[in-house]
Amino acid sequence: METPVIDFHAHIGNWGRHRVNGNIERYIEIMDHAGIDMACINCIFLGDARIANDRVAEIVAKNPARFVPAAFVTPHYPDEAISELERAFYQLGMKYLKIYPDYYQKPNDHPDYFPIYEWLNEHKIPVMSHATYPFDGPDITVTERFRNLSVRYPDIPWILAHAGSSGPGQLAKEIREIRNIYLETCGSGAVKEAIENSVELVGSDRVLFGTDMPLLDARHQIGKVITADISDNDKRKILGGNTIKLLNISTNHTN
Amino acid sequence: MGQVDLDFQPTVPVFDANVSLGRRHNQRVSVDSPEGTLSEMARAGVQRAVVYSPHAVNFDSRDGNNLLLETIEPHVGFVPQFVGNPTFDNLDEFSSEVAELNIRSVRLAPIPHKYPFQDWIVGEWLEWMESENLPIWIDAPNVDPAELHAVVKSHPKANFLLAEVHYAHLPWAIPLLKSLPNTYIELSRFVSVDGVNRLLNLIGGKRILFGSRFPESSMAPQVYSLHLNDLSNEDLTAICAGNLERLLGLT
Repeated sequence: METPVIDFHAHIGNWGRHRVNGNIERYIEIMDHAGIDMACINCIFLGDARIANDRVAEIVAKNPARFVPAAFVTPHYPDEAISELERAFYQLGMKYLKIYPDYYQKPNDHPDYFPIYEWLNEHKIPVMSHATYPFDGPDITVTERFRNLSVRYPDIPWILAHAGSSGPGQLAKEIREIRNIYLETCGSGAVKEAIENSVELVGSDRVLFGTDMPLLDARHQIGKVITADISDNDKRKILGGNTIKLLNISTNHTN
Repeated sequence: MGQVDLDFQPTVPVFDANVSLGRRHNQRVSVDSPEGTLSEMARAGVQRAVVYSPHAVNFDSRDGNNLLLETIEPHVGFVPQFVGNPTFDNLDEFSSEVAELNIRSVRLAPIPHKYPFQDWIVGEWLEWMESENLPIWIDAPNVDPAELHAVVKSHPKANFLLAEVHYAHLPWAIPLLKSLPNTYIELSRFVSVDGVNRLLNLIGGKRILFGSRFPESSMAPQVYSLHLNDLSNEDLTAICAGNLERLLGLT
């Protein structure tokens, strides 16, 4: 069956500490095996966001039919963040911001992110973030955190990464009521019924297929959606329809 | 437009090497019954599964093994696996029961059972399993890698299946598989990019086994993924069922 398939959550580059080779030709071959038209790629592992975003833009420029650029800025250099956001979204054409608070050792509701969110809120640009952190105390839940952020920044669509790994089990049912919440499906855990639970929690219009390439294999990640016990219509939305609407993009690649 | 098969079913027989069955003390899993497990197997196109008791790993091996046998008795499709605790179970009784019930594999859990995986602890058990051609399952998170390497190396006639290998284990699991030909890998958590093809290049297709880690994980995604890896039919058939049949002596 033909349906638009867009990977909402992917990265670029080599990851030596996880023995991952980010060779882009092989990357595209695996996308083809999996039936993925396009992947939203980011580079979030550097201290210098400008270098990271340039690397993404270079790959997208060489493969515009296969990759969608996603931006990154670091909360440790707030003096550089706004100008880099303007460059990333209005010069490099990026479509959403990915933040990785675990890696940067700041939870996503830390005040250092607030100027970044204010700019994104003003421009109505989505943010994808990890949902829980190893340094979290017991005093806040995932649902509370995103409710607070959603109230403070109501025009940002918030995407919770890795709901397909462990997220849904940590989310309360009230998350459905939070404005502009989406769940993304990738993860190494492959928790049973994670996709079904995500659909139940927020509805199939707010679940986005992702892979975490090149850390995880896209063929396994898409298998979680393809083999989930949900309707074919829900699968089509999750695999690409929702991302097309959210990011206002079109696919022109033909597998 | 992306080409995907929403009606996917496997094209080869599938034998799951890693399913746990029964209730847990610390959580309620979504499927804890033989009926539910068989239903998921049917949905995923899995005909048979090696099953073990989580209670046997988490608390008491003998109690868990007995509970497993009672649970699966009337059902077809399950191949029971016993969990052994060499620091508590009586080897003579355990080996007699294994022989009597035709149990085809044994799972060891050094870290949950709180013993070092060293020859002076497990040597006698491993000699018995070598002599009976009984393969040994060990979950990667449940063993010290240095201890595992030393013991496996000193028992070259015993076959060890390393289960639940996550990408965090790759720095030691890959060299271990490469250096010790009596080791096998189960794929339930091995979802790193191009992982199966890398394994094929490294150790060939005869030491790689499909497993799901059900009910913690779903059965079908890894089966689906294997079918998209451009494997030869020989490798796909071996990984999905043939290697496990051979390891268990069922061929």
